[in-house]
Amino acid sequence: MVKNKTHAYALNTFSLLAIFIIIFSLISNGSINNYYSSILISILISIIMAVSLNLTTGMLGQLCLGHAGFMSVGAYTAGIITKALPDMPFGLSLAIALVAGGLLAAVCGFLIGMPALRLKGDYLAIITLGFGEIIRVIIQNLSITGGAAGLTGISRMSRKLAATPKESSAVQFAVVFWIMVVVVTSIFTLGRSRHGRAILSIRENEVAAEATGIPTTYYKLLAFTLAAFFAGIAGGLHAHQIGMLTPKYFDFNKSIEYLVIVVLGGMGSITGSIISATVLVTLPELLREFAAWRMVIYSLTLVLMMIFRPTGLMGTSEFSLNLAIDNATAYYRKHFKRKDAKPKLPFQPHYDVWEDQPVLNTVDLGICFGGLVAAKDINISLKDNEIVGLIGPNGAGKTTIFNLLTGVYTPTKGDIILLNNSIINKPTHEITNNGIARTFQNIRLFKSMTVLENIKVAFHTRMRYSPIEGMVRNSQFSGEERGIDIRARELLRVFDMEDYADDNAASLPYGLQRKLEICRALATNPKVLLLDEPAAGMNATETIELMETIKKIRTRFSVAILLIEHDMKLVMGICERIYVLNYGNIIAEGTPAEIAVNKDVITAYLGMADNTGEVKGEEACLK
Amino acid sequence: MTLFISQLINGLHVGSIYALIALGYTMVYGIIRLINFAHGDILMIGAYTVVIAIGSLGFSPVVAIISSIAVCVLFGVLIEKVAYKPLRNSPKISSLITAIGVSMLLQNLALLIFTPTPKPYPISLNVEPIALGSVHISFTTMLTFGVSLLVMMALQAFVLTSKAGKSMRAVSEDMDAAVLMGINVNNTITLTFAIGCALAGIGSVLYCIAYPSVSPTLGSLPGVKAFIAAVLGGIGLIPGAVLGGFLLGIAESLTKGYISSKMSDAVVYGILIVILLFKPAGLLGKSIREKV
Repeated sequence: MVKNKTHAYALNTFSLLAIFIIIFSLISNGSINNYYSSILISILISIIMAVSLNLTTGMLGQLCLGHAGFMSVGAYTAGIITKALPDMPFGLSLAIALVAGGLLAAVCGFLIGMPALRLKGDYLAIITLGFGEIIRVIIQNLSITGGAAGLTGISRMSRKLAATPKESSAVQFAVVFWIMVVVVTSIFTLGRSRHGRAILSIRENEVAAEATGIPTTYYKLLAFTLAAFFAGIAGGLHAHQIGMLTPKYFDFNKSIEYLVIVVLGGMGSITGSIISATVLVTLPELLREFAAWRMVIYSLTLVLMMIFRPTGLMGTSEFSLNLAIDNATAYYRKHFKRKDAKPKLPFQPHYDVWEDQPVLNTVDLGICFGGLVAAKDINISLKDNEIVGLIGPNGAGKTTIFNLLTGVYTPTKGDIILLNNSIINKPTHEITNNGIARTFQNIRLFKSMTVLENIKVAFHTRMRYSPIEGMVRNSQFSGEERGIDIRARELLRVFDMEDYADDNAASLPYGLQRKLEICRALATNPKVLLLDEPAAGMNATETIELMETIKKIRTRFSVAILLIEHDMKLVMGICERIYVLNYGNIIAEGTPAEIAVNKDVITAYLGMADNTGEVKGEEACLK
Repeated sequence: MTLFISQLINGLHVGSIYALIALGYTMVYGIIRLINFAHGDILMIGAYTVVIAIGSLGFSPVVAIISSIAVCVLFGVLIEKVAYKPLRNSPKISSLITAIGVSMLLQNLALLIFTPTPKPYPISLNVEPIALGSVHISFTTMLTFGVSLLVMMALQAFVLTSKAGKSMRAVSEDMDAAVLMGINVNNTITLTFAIGCALAGIGSVLYCIAYPSVSPTLGSLPGVKAFIAAVLGGIGLIPGAVLGGFLLGIAESLTKGYISSKMSDAVVYGILIVILLFKPAGLLGKSIREKV
């Protein structure tokens, strides 16, 4: 089995080389004429465009309607630079131009990524459309870009890269082909590093990503900037393939064409993008007489695809390319390095816990939504290794307190002290990294990722390798990735979930999904764990099992646990202390025994105090 | 001063057309949370209907206008049934892509059928402009402004007082709850598309009288601008669309008058971006955050 796989990898890697050598020699001996070789170049450029668009639209999950705008920035920048450097050897000036075009496009991508911090979905799509159009209008009105007439007289790669036209075409193919390979490989490897997991987790569930310690703003910007950078390079290649640029070429329709390629191939699937780019660029050339129908077919495809197969041809799955790349790196490591990278286990942050000092306490914490006081003068404290319950009728403000503690809401009043440091006004992901982890009332898993990947996302901030290191897969990358693989599997073993490691999180039964969420929260190595109704929807046996699990977590992971729960048996059974909340106020605090007989608590749960002495409903539960 | 006032009047003229079209965007968005990218192309369909009705079929202008509004409604309802309804429960990104696809499809079909060569719009109004001091107000401007205002008031009254209007508001608040209250959600959505497209049909006539050249991409520019107007005012809100339409129209004609007519589109997009950055829910909208 393993051997077969290894063979398949090797086959892939070598077939890539073989394809290159065959096409290269066919072009250089003239068997592939200029017309066909230019179609080949167009395919390669479209692949770069589609794969980079896939980074934002597929992996990050943010629809971008201005990708052609980035391409135009790269194209014009590169074209202007090579025109300005006529004395330099063409290869050198081309290299400078491509990089400069990519960088300028990246700057634009960064600028467009900024609104992405505040907007999502429709609005973000519109803003990218707007930016794309603004870029076009600006290019149309500048004199350096040649205005509406366009920029002409750019040196063409197929003329100037070598002495004879045939050789030049062949070299052009080589240049574009290997740039494409590098771009695709780096986006691919990035996608399978901690950075890629962070980007995917944002697509899956942004709130949960932030609560798991992912700096979501940084990763959105990173994805937009990188995608724009690669689009800029593709633009530079396009400029030097065609030799002239007009602003009209890079209009909204162009962006849509690339979007169609991505959607058709499957959003999130890189190989899907490659295949559909190849097909969609080749088909119109083969069906020249139907040229007028091209956009009709494109748009019809888009609509039909969304209705009948919204996941695209490939869905998010990858063809054997991933195997090829995995194998190539493994092969390289085996033969060119003296020894394998040692697994680097993620460091365990050390928390300074002062004896008899609470690990978490709040000081007169409060928040108002408009006129509604959702929480008022909340003073909660948690000692080390303590299990504390937070109960109260529906709408009492329990989850609001969790949201305040984790920075999802900013309190209007008061202070939160975690291990002697105020965490007020800190973003959620920082609070998570400072030691508070949580679960959600309505489960928020990264549904289309595997169980193991869900856990690995939570290890994100305890790894150090950079995006570049993730792309090139150096020893730092492989060491850390092996380290967290070991730790993540260990953690799953503690919860008897190791067998599910490679299952999709969405496919787990309900109880296990809850467990996985707790598991993911623990993977961030918290000092305080907030559980929001962990027993909701569980039957009696499952609840008893959960009680054991919670106790086990406390001793094994040495955390303080604050627990919201309606199941009184569970609360009374495992909590050492209980806070009771009603209308945003803490109305009682004490041991389970004290709470069970507290008059105010009974009133809060049952309305007026019952004078007949008859015990019923939830009061019976309290007792 | 004269320049300023005449640009202001121009602004009200285009602005009222934008507002009419923006109402269609906003109503559809309000009810199914979908940006109907194809809405602008309904304008184009309306315009070609008038061209065919008068040019080939020899209808009188009034009949042509009525039939063009009918065709707009028909297309709107058809698009909803065929393309959007199957995707009502899909992720937003899917329905957005579909809407873009429908828009491209309509434009490119028109390109195939009618060729890219613009055709003259067969209805024109040859009435002397009215002079107020040194400022001339054309009859078209007054007609556009008057018709738009009337239609908008009628719409607002319909939505606020009629039974169908009430179901529309209910569906836009909570589709599932509306079903449980016995509201026929499908019919309500169809009605919303029908009204939105009827407004686009009226907008199409007024737009083409002002810019009498009919081409397959006729709808995209006013469509995008009306959409921006809807976002500016707060998408999903009827008064927001009206306010946004007028503001955008005025901003655009002042740019044309004082800065450069070439840059007016860039200014429009710039306004959109600034609004989205600082007040994503629009001028009249309230931002709602995701419940955690």
